[in-house]
Amino acid sequence: MFRYLPEQASTFANDVDWLHHWITDLSVFFTVAIFGAAILFSIIWRRRNNQDHETPRILGSHSLEVIWTVVPTIICIFIAIEGIRIHKDIRTPPEKSLNINVTAQQFGWEFEYSNGKKTNNQTTIPVGQPVKYILRSKDVLHSFYVPAMRVKSDALASMYTYVWFNPIKTGEYQGFCTEYCGAGHSTMLFKVNVVSPAEYDRWLNDNSAEVMLAKMPPEDKGRALYNSKNCVSCHSMDGSAKVGPSFAGLWNRKEKLSDGSEILVDENYIEESILYPAKKLVAGYGPVMPAYEGQITTEEISHLIAFIKTLEKGTAPIAAPAVAAAPAAAAPVDLTKMTAAERGKYHVELKACNACHSMDGSKIVGPSFKGIYGRNGKLSDGTAYVANDAYIKNSIWEPMSQIVEGYAPAMPSYKGQLSESDVADIIEYMKTIK
Amino acid sequence: MSTAVAGEKKNYLNEHTGIWSWLYTLDHKRIGIMYTVSLFFFFIVAGCLALVMRYELARSGPSGLLTPEQYNQAFTLHGAIMVFLFIVPGIPATLGNFLLPLMIGAKDVVFPRLNLFSYYIYLIGAIMALVALLSPIDTGWTFYAPYSIQTSQGVVLMTAAAFVLGFSSILTGLNFIVTIHKLRAPGMTWMRLPVFVWAIYATAAIQVLATPVVGINLLLLIIEKTFGIGIFDPKLGGDPVLFQHLFWFYSHPVVYIMILPAFGIIGEIIPVFSRKPLFGYKAVVISSMAIALVGFFVWAHHMFTSGISDFSAMIFSVITFGVAIPTAVKVFNWVSTMYKGSIRLDTPMLYAIAFVFIFMVAGTTGIYLAALGVDIFYHDTYFVVAHFHYTMQGGAVIGLIAGLHFWFPKITGKMYNETFARIAFVLVFVGFNLTFLPQFVLGMNGMPRRYFDYPPEFEPWHFASTIGAFMNGLGYTTAILNLGLVALFGKKKAPANPYESLSLEWQTQSPPIHDNFEKTPIITDWTYGYGQPVKTAHH
Repeated sequence: MFRYLPEQASTFANDVDWLHHWITDLSVFFTVAIFGAAILFSIIWRRRNNQDHETPRILGSHSLEVIWTVVPTIICIFIAIEGIRIHKDIRTPPEKSLNINVTAQQFGWEFEYSNGKKTNNQTTIPVGQPVKYILRSKDVLHSFYVPAMRVKSDALASMYTYVWFNPIKTGEYQGFCTEYCGAGHSTMLFKVNVVSPAEYDRWLNDNSAEVMLAKMPPEDKGRALYNSKNCVSCHSMDGSAKVGPSFAGLWNRKEKLSDGSEILVDENYIEESILYPAKKLVAGYGPVMPAYEGQITTEEISHLIAFIKTLEKGTAPIAAPAVAAAPAAAAPVDLTKMTAAERGKYHVELKACNACHSMDGSKIVGPSFKGIYGRNGKLSDGTAYVANDAYIKNSIWEPMSQIVEGYAPAMPSYKGQLSESDVADIIEYMKTIK
Repeated sequence: MSTAVAGEKKNYLNEHTGIWSWLYTLDHKRIGIMYTVSLFFFFIVAGCLALVMRYELARSGPSGLLTPEQYNQAFTLHGAIMVFLFIVPGIPATLGNFLLPLMIGAKDVVFPRLNLFSYYIYLIGAIMALVALLSPIDTGWTFYAPYSIQTSQGVVLMTAAAFVLGFSSILTGLNFIVTIHKLRAPGMTWMRLPVFVWAIYATAAIQVLATPVVGINLLLLIIEKTFGIGIFDPKLGGDPVLFQHLFWFYSHPVVYIMILPAFGIIGEIIPVFSRKPLFGYKAVVISSMAIALVGFFVWAHHMFTSGISDFSAMIFSVITFGVAIPTAVKVFNWVSTMYKGSIRLDTPMLYAIAFVFIFMVAGTTGIYLAALGVDIFYHDTYFVVAHFHYTMQGGAVIGLIAGLHFWFPKITGKMYNETFARIAFVLVFVGFNLTFLPQFVLGMNGMPRRYFDYPPEFEPWHFASTIGAFMNGLGYTTAILNLGLVALFGKKKAPANPYESLSLEWQTQSPPIHDNFEKTPIITDWTYGYGQPVKTAHH
């Protein structure tokens, strides 16, 4: 339990833990010794049978007093110096650090890279490269904290602050806001994604997400905004009440307001609630939402409205971006009468694979399906692949485990959505695309 | 009004009766009791809020009991009530008021009217704080700007309440300082004062010197919030770090307002129950004064990640270690006092021994937070929450409870039920540690504080903590009921000095008469003359 610390993922994590363990060992030793002595004394010299025994009038001891003043002083000096040494490390970013600007606001994080790429609540960085996050808040105090890296700093609206670290291994690490900032404080989380340098370069220069976004219908753009503008922190999609009312079944609903009146949730009410949230509060909810005036365009609001319209009561959160929900589903389909390749084509259209994978050899988000079966190539980690049955099945179920070189890890997993036989059908269909 | 019951000796409780004899009283003993009752009312309120929070946190995911905003209000009120209404007035206002004149051989404090006035100021502040509950605030008890400037208007009333309460604290401190200087009985020299009096003296100095700073700070916050003058809010050109400096310039020394008197109580209990003089009396006295002094220069260790310069962080880290040493000295002296004693393990002594353990944990975990590089990792996590609960609850509250048991026969002339007192002790001790030891582990794993919800991997530790909290609550309930019911309805008289203490407050009848002593006592020896003189002792 005393050695129970998070994973060490930065260069100075080991130093911090080393000092931590020193303090722990000394603390346990002194606590056991002193409390042990108190317990021992109370056992040995306990008054028995309600009868006092003679006690010596010991008033003190100069030598003992000196010892137990000097020894703790020496220990404290040692710990103080080591603490300062480690702190100096934590506060001194190397000159060649990768600079990333961070803007914190209630209740989310925006990361901006040197080429203008922006991400929300997620930051991807290369392993072995010192990274300096330059922090600034838009509103109240926040604090940037990644336990695995052993770093923390407040973000202020009045000055720039920073944290830096050098990640020593790849992986995904949890980040928290640790300065209390309001109703959504405990949802103000972010991920630090440490990847190989090659993958980082690809990721940094990959604009496929924007390309994909541009091709999306308004409601899906709205869904993307729902995540990137941090609506997700406070408004659920499944009907559960979080900090704010759920978006499930919100559209066209009559809401009771805090002043007792009722209002119909239409375009105008949603727009007003985004821009000036405190104007008309739904009963039972506090005035805690930050105003998005000046932070969101009219077009974006229309996308969010389109998204909210699609959410019926109790819609479960959907992980995969269901690009262009399949209209084919409406038509009666009898799969049993189809060939395997026809069934595969049906699944590909239903799941809208073609939104990201072209049929004509052009690159959209993912590799084209044209001539995909049996194709040879290289993965992002440098290993070679052959697109055989096993490879394709794995790419559909676990797309993140093998990214083709030059492509972003953007595809959601279809495990549970496409069965073994569905996948076999899709492979048959792929064989026909030449 | 004088209606002493026939056959019962006159004392401060029966000399005058009726509600007005309490509300108008100038007797330090009655004022001490009025404070005790008021303080424990708020202790129970804030304690219940803590249990509500622990219930919410027992499992990952919302429990359905609280919304995130209500949770934020709950921890704000828990902190604000515990700090401003319970633990800051704490031991000085309750036991300090009752005991200080008795311990130095005086009839009363030097300004009895001012003493009563302080109580009523406290009451006004408390009522303001209660009204502020109606428009719940969610800033945390620290009122950090700029959040406190942008959130609900209830903050103004709550900070105004804290401002008013500050005056009660200042006036009490002033009263005690002058009393100790001017009203010591003949022969009660400075080096014969009980360590509890020294602790109260050091505390009073902090109350008088530090409280005005937080008063100014809260006033500035009110001005900014009401008139929109930019002081702390960057939107208005203010500096949020300035708020933290002013806030902690008071609120760190205030930690010693809470804990020093508890040290004093432990320093009184251990010699009596060990039949030994307090080991190294002078060192204990000097360490109290050293803590009070050094405590003024460590405030920025609350701000190592706030954006202060690396150089000032370094300076404040080093000075912070300076507090650790006198604290360690105290603990060594307490335990050494028990050496070769004749130790009786009655409830006050049980609490005192438990205090040694709790304060070792509290003190050593403070070392992690003083060490700069390590603090960066722990700041604003559950590690800090656990650490300060070990000092505040484990230290100040358990010190107060220990003292209330010890002086209970003095105050009421009756004896509490020892069995129930021991049951309560076990529940408090086990429950307390079960609540807060897991929180150290949570902090070590990066669990941030003030979180309504948390990732599932933290759940086992949170669950254990919740179990502990309810156990702890049950323990306090048992202790308070035991003391409260016996005080009100108990029939059996206690001996005047059941623990055979040598200190002055026990050398008069229990409960004492209105004027404390029949005639002014003359002091010829120091307080801790226990045991047989031995040749090896130095002087």
